[in-house]
Amino acid sequence: MKNQPLSLVTLVALAAGVAVASFVSSGTLLSLLTQAVIYALFASGVGLLLRQNGMVSFGHALFFGSSGYGLGILLQLKLMPAEAAILVTLAGLALAAFVIGLVIVRVPGVAFGMLTLAIGQMAFLTASRSRGLTGGADGMNIDWPSTLFGVAQSQLFKPGNMFLLCWVTLVVVLLALTLLLRSRFGSITEAVRDNEERARFIGIRTLVPRATVYALSGVVTGLAGLLSALNTGFVSPENLHWSLSGVALMMVVVGGPKALWGPALGAIVYFLFKDILGDLANHWMAIFGVALISVIVFSPTGLAGLLGRLFQGRPQRSVPAADAARPVVATGTAH
Amino acid sequence: MLTINLFNGLVYGALLIVMCSGLALIYGLRRVVNFAHGSLYMLGAYLGYSIATQSNFWVALVAAPAIMALFGVLLDRYGFRLLQDRDPLTVVLVTFGLLLVIEDFVQTVWGKSNLSVPTPELLNFTVDLFGTPVPAYRIAVIVVGAAVALGLSLWLRHSNYGLFVRAASTDPTTTAMQGVNTDALSAGVVGLGTALAGLVAAPFLSLSPSMSSDVIIDSFVVVVVGGLGSLAGAFIAAMVLGMVQALGAVYLPDLAMLLPFVLMVAILIWKPAGFAGSRT
Repeated sequence: MKNQPLSLVTLVALAAGVAVASFVSSGTLLSLLTQAVIYALFASGVGLLLRQNGMVSFGHALFFGSSGYGLGILLQLKLMPAEAAILVTLAGLALAAFVIGLVIVRVPGVAFGMLTLAIGQMAFLTASRSRGLTGGADGMNIDWPSTLFGVAQSQLFKPGNMFLLCWVTLVVVLLALTLLLRSRFGSITEAVRDNEERARFIGIRTLVPRATVYALSGVVTGLAGLLSALNTGFVSPENLHWSLSGVALMMVVVGGPKALWGPALGAIVYFLFKDILGDLANHWMAIFGVALISVIVFSPTGLAGLLGRLFQGRPQRSVPAADAARPVVATGTAH
Repeated sequence: MLTINLFNGLVYGALLIVMCSGLALIYGLRRVVNFAHGSLYMLGAYLGYSIATQSNFWVALVAAPAIMALFGVLLDRYGFRLLQDRDPLTVVLVTFGLLLVIEDFVQTVWGKSNLSVPTPELLNFTVDLFGTPVPAYRIAVIVVGAAVALGLSLWLRHSNYGLFVRAASTDPTTTAMQGVNTDALSAGVVGLGTALAGLVAAPFLSLSPSMSSDVIIDSFVVVVVGGLGSLAGAFIAAMVLGMVQALGAVYLPDLAMLLPFVLMVAILIWKPAGFAGSRT
């Protein structure tokens, strides 16, 4: 994967999306895929936090739900056009996530998870108890305008187009993250993740990069929340509930957080699997629970790690540029 | 009005005490944040329901906790202990998987509809409390909560096993090096605690598939706010939370719901080591 030019992978991914959107005629399958892609983006946000910060969030539904609510409220108050509302929601989310991140990323390990859980539940309770603006436990409808970014609503809501929009967003986000993490910012956050103390010794300020990663992961998940609000036209407190955060976390673990695309793979496998199971899907919770436990115990790198091993015949690891020039045999036996 | 609300707060607090003792113990011994704890409580409640409808409440009161204790021991032996050397976050996720499996199992066996266990005959009367009639059964719940709190505290403080458990909570490795094996017993206590909580709750809360998620978050709050180091802290926190829930639901519905979480966030930020003392 790493050696192929990034632009080629991106083009193939985009072409695959166009192919799916134009050749899959079944509306139910397309809407299933759309949902899968939205959750793929959700899980990518959770995975980013785990990959770059080594932190597990049990409350990422906070960003998934509040982006939908933020947008819904802005549209309901008719303060600005929908296009501006989308940008304002994302910017507000980024700022809020960064500020929250500044406070909570100092807290280590499991306590961080508990903290995210508590903050998420606070948002959930607030949304489900406040009537008026947010409609309380019933949720709220989002009044999308008839045209969005110049595209008519009737066009936008065609299953194929909706899928394509979500897919392109996912691909672009993953591409942007890949590029970002190849930069100095990526190296810094990795150094901080692996050993914060040593990173500080060599003069890196560790708090801001970690809070930035938290904010970034919040925005990615928030983007998924916006797509979900667009797809369903509806947002409810369920979008903020901790069990949703838990499900996203499962996707991340099953997919494999080591690769940037792992969580997305986990989400898509999750939805396809659930669909294929058909009648057995009543038991998908148990099946996925067992799958989760097995993956954690037997293949901690998840499906992505498994695929990496299959295709490359050796454990996937990031090979620095200087290393890549060496004969393959040497790196193969080094492990 | 105030009397009955205070009383209900006491009842819920007592229930949380029974719940949290198990959660705090397993954290102390294995550094496991057990997301499946609420599901175990639910499983215990449903088991108790089945036994109670087959025979009677009192048989269930003995049998369900016994079965759950055995389950707890097996879970610890073949689950948590094997994962002891792994990253604590990994183990948290395993318990999350377990939660899903148990929830599905319960829904498959007992269905999704609400079930209820009738109050046992012996306790089916009301007592006059400062002019307010209260069900005797709820008084029994408070007594059970108090007994669990007292019993556990005495056990931890004065018995040899209690000493071992406290030692293992402080430093598992050193304790093990000195040849102490606290495993089976502590796991039994965890199973026992969850089943007892489930069963005790059964006659006055209806059984439903959502009962686990209702209670697990409250339990986390209690354990975090109370501080995992001390069971006593958790007991006090359980009582406070019970009161806040009961009184808040009546007088300040919107604010009181958030208060426990505000407390939890404040404590975690101010003193995270209380909860996650071990870094890895």
